[in-house]
Amino acid sequence: MRRLALFAMIIVPLAALYVSLFVGRFTVPPADVAGILASRLWPIARDWPASVETIVLQIRLPRAILAMFVGAGLSVSGAAFQGMFRNPLVSPDILGVTAASGFGAALALLLSRGAFELELIAFLFGISGVGLTYLLARTYRSTPVLMLVLSGVIVAAFFSALLSGVKYLADPDSKLPAITYWLLGSLNGSSMRTLGMALPPIILGGAGLMLVRWRLNVLSMGDAEARSLGVRTDRLKGIIIVCTTLITAAAVSVCGIIGWVGLVIPHFARMWVGPDHRALLPAACSIGATYLLLIDDVARTASASEIPLGILTAIVGAPFFAYLLRKTQGGWQ
Amino acid sequence: MRTESLWVVAAWLLAASVTQPSRAQVTREVTDAAGRIVTLPSTVNRIADAWHANNAMVLMLGGADKLVATTVQAQRQPWLRKLYPRIDQVPAAFNAAGDLNVETLIGARPDVILMAYDGALPKWSDAVEAYHVPIVLMPNTSLEGLKTTARITGTVLGPREAEVAEDYIRYFDANIRRVRRETQRLAASQRPKVLHTSSAGILTVDGLDTVIDDWIKVAGGRNAADVVGNGRPVTLEQVAVWDPDLIIVGTAPNQQNRQAILEDPRWREIKAVKTGKVFVNPTGAYLWDRHSAEAALQVLWAAKTIHPELFSDLDIKRETINFYAKYFHHALTDEEYTSIVNATAP
Repeated sequence: MRRLALFAMIIVPLAALYVSLFVGRFTVPPADVAGILASRLWPIARDWPASVETIVLQIRLPRAILAMFVGAGLSVSGAAFQGMFRNPLVSPDILGVTAASGFGAALALLLSRGAFELELIAFLFGISGVGLTYLLARTYRSTPVLMLVLSGVIVAAFFSALLSGVKYLADPDSKLPAITYWLLGSLNGSSMRTLGMALPPIILGGAGLMLVRWRLNVLSMGDAEARSLGVRTDRLKGIIIVCTTLITAAAVSVCGIIGWVGLVIPHFARMWVGPDHRALLPAACSIGATYLLLIDDVARTASASEIPLGILTAIVGAPFFAYLLRKTQGGWQ
Repeated sequence: MRTESLWVVAAWLLAASVTQPSRAQVTREVTDAAGRIVTLPSTVNRIADAWHANNAMVLMLGGADKLVATTVQAQRQPWLRKLYPRIDQVPAAFNAAGDLNVETLIGARPDVILMAYDGALPKWSDAVEAYHVPIVLMPNTSLEGLKTTARITGTVLGPREAEVAEDYIRYFDANIRRVRRETQRLAASQRPKVLHTSSAGILTVDGLDTVIDDWIKVAGGRNAADVVGNGRPVTLEQVAVWDPDLIIVGTAPNQQNRQAILEDPRWREIKAVKTGKVFVNPTGAYLWDRHSAEAALQVLWAAKTIHPELFSDLDIKRETINFYAKYFHHALTDEEYTSIVNATAP
């Protein structure tokens, strides 16, 4: 059974990735897609137009890969935070990273910065936002969970206000819609360059969380219990916060605000493999990657206009969350 | 002081406020885009213009000295500021999002407020009409509507400005006729697909039912984007499906956005990029491609850009210089002309 689950965790996202390369507004014959992919590995005759190759390799592939990493990253961050805060309603943006990154991105758009600078500014603001939350929460050389949550609320509110200020100043003919669409979340900007930008922090943070995942089990019993079992809770919390922040800030900086993934997917994973973080985190990764990839396929294919991702993830996520709530009668394990 | 005398004072104050000498004025009526009949004072000396693009129109018609309130957005147009430096001193009662500061507006004592009609009265209309300041709404989705806007603006401003407006409309019509003469006989297959992008940071394009779609058609092109409305977000793959023959980059920073398109490997196989047909839309007192007074020039520029072979005799530079001389009373130098067609600030 465990072996089967592990197999499914790896094979399902890869299958979804393969299928996604065949889906899109531009009609590419499936044989050509297969040919283009195969031609990367084996030398075969190219009898498809260059434009088709650009679409598959430069547009669909980076976008699909980014969708998977962002989905996996947000889900694993959510799962780690829900364990650390011992609360099922926590999502990765609880420490203010989304609000801070969003402000950074809006500021970059207001100042007409290019894509690279936008991502960098958003990323740095996300990191600083969480840094501020952590400093605020630090009391008597410890960081109680309640202080972290409250500080997160304060920092998020502050950056939201700054974001509104930027929107207020923005040019309504061009910049305001750009900021609005950006905040709604989209993977439209994906390219090989954005992959190079976003993947290192996501992989680094994800690897960090994977390494400490068994300690999360101890931490989720409570600070006092964890300490009595010899876990240095403050250091562990610090590591988890750094890892999730790297992931979330990188995700937000390349594709805007995508809600609900980090909140709902961990629950889904818990239903599948149970509350043990050693299995939960990989499961959340796998489901999150598949989920966001499939949602993004809808976002880019359903209509000629791009449908913002944040809208779709919430429209799918909210009813699902409601269903979970009814099913478990509010009793969370 | 006794209570009685307090009452007397109060009654006196009340009476004074009610019997304030009302300005006996002759009025006239204007029908606006919403079909409302708006009553205006016979001479309008103070106007508040809530529509960014229309501020340049007011300047063109010769009524800019009557502006007592403008928008933040209009004050940010480098060329408007150059042509009419006083715009910086006019209180910006309207912010970029189209909201207003009622007290600034009332303090400016406008005779009338001009604004674009998007299907409804603004949410602040009650507050303003309580001060008996009439609102005149103007159409904003087509070239035909732009002419109506010029006519309404002229009529509101006064007889002299109304005459300029009629003259401008004749010039505009002549330009449209001149372009149509060549383009109307083009078959669908001879009409290049034109993509007009409208923002940085995220890919948005201008679709059908817009003034942009209108001038693309007049100029002998087809709008590549078959979505409806201004500034719609689209995917790059959708752009590849449309595969435009020509891309026109609108809104600032145009040059930077054009460069981004040319350098991005994902755009490389788009026909317009392969053939080097990626252009920056000129920007003057307002963005030429939007509801600007310069839309009359946009029609010519677009025709020449889309069909250079049909309009080899059309000299955009001469037309532009003549236009600014006649309507903005400004003699453009060579550098200034370049700054306008390249959409770089003067």
